[in-house]
Amino acid sequence: MNSNPNRPEVLVIDDEPQIRRLLRLILEDGGYAVREADSGRAGLDEVARRSPTVVILDLGLPDIPGLEVLKKLREWNTIPLLILSVFGREGSKIAGLDAGADDYLTKPFDGGELLARLRALLRRIKPALASNAFHFDSVEVDFGRRQVLKHGQPVKLTSMEYALLQLFITHRDKVLTHRHILRTLWGPKAELQTHYLRTYMLRLRRKLEDDLDAPKYFQTESGIGYRFVSEPKAVAG
Amino acid sequence: MRREPKDGTLAAPAEDAGAASIPRREEEPPRELSSPREYLGVLVVIAVVTIVGRFAPLSYAAFGHIYLFTVIALSLRVGRRPALFAAVVSALTWDFVFVPPQLSFSVPDFDDVLLLGTYFVVAIIGSQLTARMRAEQREERRRALLAESERLHRTLLDSVSHELRTPLSVLNGAAERLSSAPPERMGALGDEICTATRRLDHLVANLLGQTRLEAGALRPQLDWCDARDLVASARRPLEEALSARTIRVAIPDELPLFRADAVLMEQVLANLLLNAARHTPPAAAVRISAGLVDDRIFIAVEDDGPGLPPGIAEDPFRKFHSSRQGGAGGLGLGLSIVRGFMLAQGGEVTAGKSPGGGAVFTVYLPHTLHTRVPEDEL
Repeated sequence: MNSNPNRPEVLVIDDEPQIRRLLRLILEDGGYAVREADSGRAGLDEVARRSPTVVILDLGLPDIPGLEVLKKLREWNTIPLLILSVFGREGSKIAGLDAGADDYLTKPFDGGELLARLRALLRRIKPALASNAFHFDSVEVDFGRRQVLKHGQPVKLTSMEYALLQLFITHRDKVLTHRHILRTLWGPKAELQTHYLRTYMLRLRRKLEDDLDAPKYFQTESGIGYRFVSEPKAVAG
Repeated sequence: MRREPKDGTLAAPAEDAGAASIPRREEEPPRELSSPREYLGVLVVIAVVTIVGRFAPLSYAAFGHIYLFTVIALSLRVGRRPALFAAVVSALTWDFVFVPPQLSFSVPDFDDVLLLGTYFVVAIIGSQLTARMRAEQREERRRALLAESERLHRTLLDSVSHELRTPLSVLNGAAERLSSAPPERMGALGDEICTATRRLDHLVANLLGQTRLEAGALRPQLDWCDARDLVASARRPLEEALSARTIRVAIPDELPLFRADAVLMEQVLANLLLNAARHTPPAAAVRISAGLVDDRIFIAVEDDGPGLPPGIAEDPFRKFHSSRQGGAGGLGLGLSIVRGFMLAQGGEVTAGKSPGGGAVFTVYLPHTLHTRVPEDEL
């Protein structure tokens, strides 16, 4: 790969050489320049010296726990950051997201998934021109007129349902924790009232998804939150 | 632990799950009386014999023999020291209470001394016999436990190595072919690699789940859950494994939310679905239903297969208890985890026969009411 100065640079902080090699393969094919750090300290140094475009941080590092690296980094830097974690550590994922990580990926991960997450993270720092309309599947959302159409027919959304939809579209392809959504929509006192969210998600899906038993766009991230997937993978069957 | 567990570290706790620790834990014979209680028991028995004897019109010599029987009986039940203690107390009581002059100590004659001597001999021989018998029983129990744990260990090793080797062979074979395979084969090889990694991932999740259960490290995070959402999320990663299946979901719209740990519930449902897929012919349909009965939420996974085979049906949730019929395989952890996770969340799981003769697994969770959800306007 030739080094093109315009390519966004990804810093991978992971102590496993094999994971770093795999990430390099995936990321370089995806058009990114890759730098590696094998420890938390080295990673922090690299961020300070090179200011990469995105950071991929493994939570299980040998020297400083990944979560500490993240907290230290967030003291002075708002660089987009994706954490890598393993199955069964929902608590640490939520802690990471609360501490300022922008998204997470569970090992073992899918290369396509990783690139999609990075695209979503980069879109956040380069927001497309505030667009007045958004569409997915057969749904059209017109923010200017505050109107939602499905198959060309108007869909009646309550103001909360509409606010929820707007939140998802603004942060599309990015995970939103229960706490974040509840705080944004119902205020800080409602942070733990997950049943509000479950109820409204069910209503929103009922109005906008084709198959409630296999939602394609409004996806559940178990134990963590929800993600609005703007371009779901085409799945046979 | 500071580090997150890396994949490689999972093998160690998983091996520990093989019940190797059982014999050590139960080595203490459970039914043996503790010493102070034995001494107390001895005193009580002798006191009862003495009090009853005071009202019986028998000669003092007859009482001497009654005490002898008492010492024999006691020495067969208690340890050596309490048995000797029984001999001493019986000798003194007999002398004090029954040997004339009554209610005072007297110097016994030769016949009496002989009898008293017998007390001690009997106490020693009897307690020795008892000790030997107990040791034998303990040894037998230990051997039985060891055999059981060895059986579990063998089963675990057999199935772990089978379950690990199969996807590993696929990975190895497919990866090796990748570099030399014609381009039109690449896609198929890649798919095989993905299937094998998913299988390994699921295996690791189950081994991890079982280890967490056994270590008592499971802390369910109960939160409001929606059955439809749980079922959809559980199915999402299984799309490929279940792609050939007809799955019908019937969840009533008005089913209330309930409290559960979403992550655990997904693994529970995924295990039940994979279990149905694994043990039924590919054409068999799988039905998922949910409802509210007697203040309990239930979610049932029902299939059209042959039902639970005899030998499994009695306790399908037992660990490493898997039927190997038709190459179905599996570690036999899936259902054990289902039960463990359900119990941890305050629920339960039952297994039964569906009306069509297939298997049906039903998980239950308590239903509680949540506070009102704020309504808003159109």
